[in-house]
Amino acid sequence: MYSGINISQTDARPMYLQIMEQIRARVAAGDWEPGKELPSIRALAAALNVSVITIKRAYLDLESEGVIVTRHGKGSFVANVNGLAGELQEARVDEHLDQAAQLGRQLGLTEEDLAARLRRAYRNVDKK
Amino acid sequence: MNIVTRKLIAKELHVNRLLVGGGVMSGVASVVLAALGQLGFSIGSLIWLSTIIAMGVILALYGIMNERKEHSLEFIMSLPLSVSDYVRAKMLGLALCFFIAWSISVAGALVLVFAKDSVPDGIAPYVVLLGVFMLANFCVVLCGTMFARNEGTTTLIVIVTNMGVTIFMFIVAPMKGIHDFMWGPVPVWNSAFWAVLGCELAVMVIAFCLPIFLVARRRDFL
Amino acid sequence: MEAKHIEMHGVRKTYRFFTLDDLSLELAPGEVMGFVGPNGAGKSTTLRLAMGLVTPDAGEIRVLGQPMPAASASAKREVGYVSAEMLLLPNATLGWHMDFVKAIYPSWDDAYAMTLVKRFNLRREQNARSLSLGERIKAVLLLTLARRPRLLILDEPTTGLDPVARHEVISEFMDVLQDDSRSVLFSSHNTVDVERISDRITFIDRGRVVESSNKEDFLDRWRRIQLQLPEGAALPALPNIVSRNVDGRFVTLVTDRFSEGFAALLGPNVREVQRMNLEEIFVANVMRHREVRGS
Repeated sequence: MYSGINISQTDARPMYLQIMEQIRARVAAGDWEPGKELPSIRALAAALNVSVITIKRAYLDLESEGVIVTRHGKGSFVANVNGLAGELQEARVDEHLDQAAQLGRQLGLTEEDLAARLRRAYRNVDKK
Repeated sequence: MNIVTRKLIAKELHVNRLLVGGGVMSGVASVVLAALGQLGFSIGSLIWLSTIIAMGVILALYGIMNERKEHSLEFIMSLPLSVSDYVRAKMLGLALCFFIAWSISVAGALVLVFAKDSVPDGIAPYVVLLGVFMLANFCVVLCGTMFARNEGTTTLIVIVTNMGVTIFMFIVAPMKGIHDFMWGPVPVWNSAFWAVLGCELAVMVIAFCLPIFLVARRRDFL
Repeated sequence: MEAKHIEMHGVRKTYRFFTLDDLSLELAPGEVMGFVGPNGAGKSTTLRLAMGLVTPDAGEIRVLGQPMPAASASAKREVGYVSAEMLLLPNATLGWHMDFVKAIYPSWDDAYAMTLVKRFNLRREQNARSLSLGERIKAVLLLTLARRPRLLILDEPTTGLDPVARHEVISEFMDVLQDDSRSVLFSSHNTVDVERISDRITFIDRGRVVESSNKEDFLDRWRRIQLQLPEGAALPALPNIVSRNVDGRFVTLVTDRFSEGFAALLGPNVREVQRMNLEEIFVANVMRHREVRGS
């Protein structure tokens, strides 16, 4: 179930973020469907050889994002919300766009410049 | 005696099995050799003495110092036992190893004394005293080695106690109560004999028990 | 609430050339604590104090609720201790050792022991003398893990192991943590491993605890910041700077109290804010500690 989750310590991002991302990706792809039970914190920690505290943090943050739901004494489950997968996909797009916007501002691009570039990139997708 | 102490004593026997086996064989061989004529007797008794002394030295040095040096002491002390348990198990275990080779050798010597006509039975008490002396000697070596902090001290202990065997022979053999009857046809168990035996047993008991009382006071066993 | 597995308060131990001073340490059940420090800092001594192998000159030590070293014999029934220097008994096989330990500990799990023998690539017939360093450590670990101790105290358990063996060994420790009533205290030079599997981390240097904290907290608080100051500009006044390196207009700062507020104070000249890995945090922490102590 979670053998595909990979934590790389050479990745610049903190371990808890990597875990969150990989869980989000599975939910977004529909592999982990709404209502599915997540591995217990300790079971995942043992499977990934990652500290319990890191898994706990990932689960807590995922819960505050609304991706998972933790029921005390019962475990954690993928949130049973319609369209969650779609929402998560769109959230990824927003994340990338935020980065592009920030970089653009730093380089001094105008809103129109940035929009033009985005349009060009969109059209280029079909060409590839 | 708890299970850990028992298993440690068994471990002592297991780990030293070749040494003890060798000691038994050497002791028996020396007795057989001593049965073969005058020269055989001289050589045999020499080997008999050397075997028992050597066993004592090797057991004490190897059994105690090596364990410390070789970091296997850490493994043992990680087991659920106190320092006192360890010392007790060590002393009993090594004493048992020594006792096996010693008792067979001494018994063999006594059998030779009583069975062989050319060897006067009167020497039996002396053989017993010599044997028990070496047993007490071993206990003293064990006691000293338990306290010794380095190899120099242990070597010193070994040298001194081995000189003791020679000194014993020089002091006890000429004693009035012993000397007079040594070459007689009948063993004489007189007061001189019991006095010497009593001293030996007292030394043995004290040397054996001392470490158990004192080492437990130590703050840094490792 | 279950009692702490290890409690050390104000512990002092003096040797001829080295003193462990005012050492305080706490380990809760279900926790993994990584114990990090330079050679000679006092890691092994601390672990030995926890095992009751050494008597402190001052301070209190309780392990699994029992005072040490007074109750060490009974505490050790539930504590497993492995040190990289430990050797098994010569002239005896691994199988003999397994039977030996099995006879002493009622909690010995034969099936698990045999699984570990296979997993660690060992054989019962191997003589203790013929084991390589890696095999030796794995053998001692096997003997310790198979009896499922509540507390594991490990002194450099992965030092000298090849990457495959390290991975196997760490997987076994982490398996222990599936039971939240068990805990692990391990010392290591391998900051990559410590960073990955520890819940709490304690830094020790020259006989004193430099810092002890929750791992995520450490990683969150420490940052290396690169600034590029414009011509003639001065460095902004900033609190909690652990170290500062000025190279012309390029300034590198290390802070141990990074936060949103701190980021705001930095101003517009920031080129990069980098997270630090445990090794970098450790070195920076120890350097600061040594400066402060004037050594």
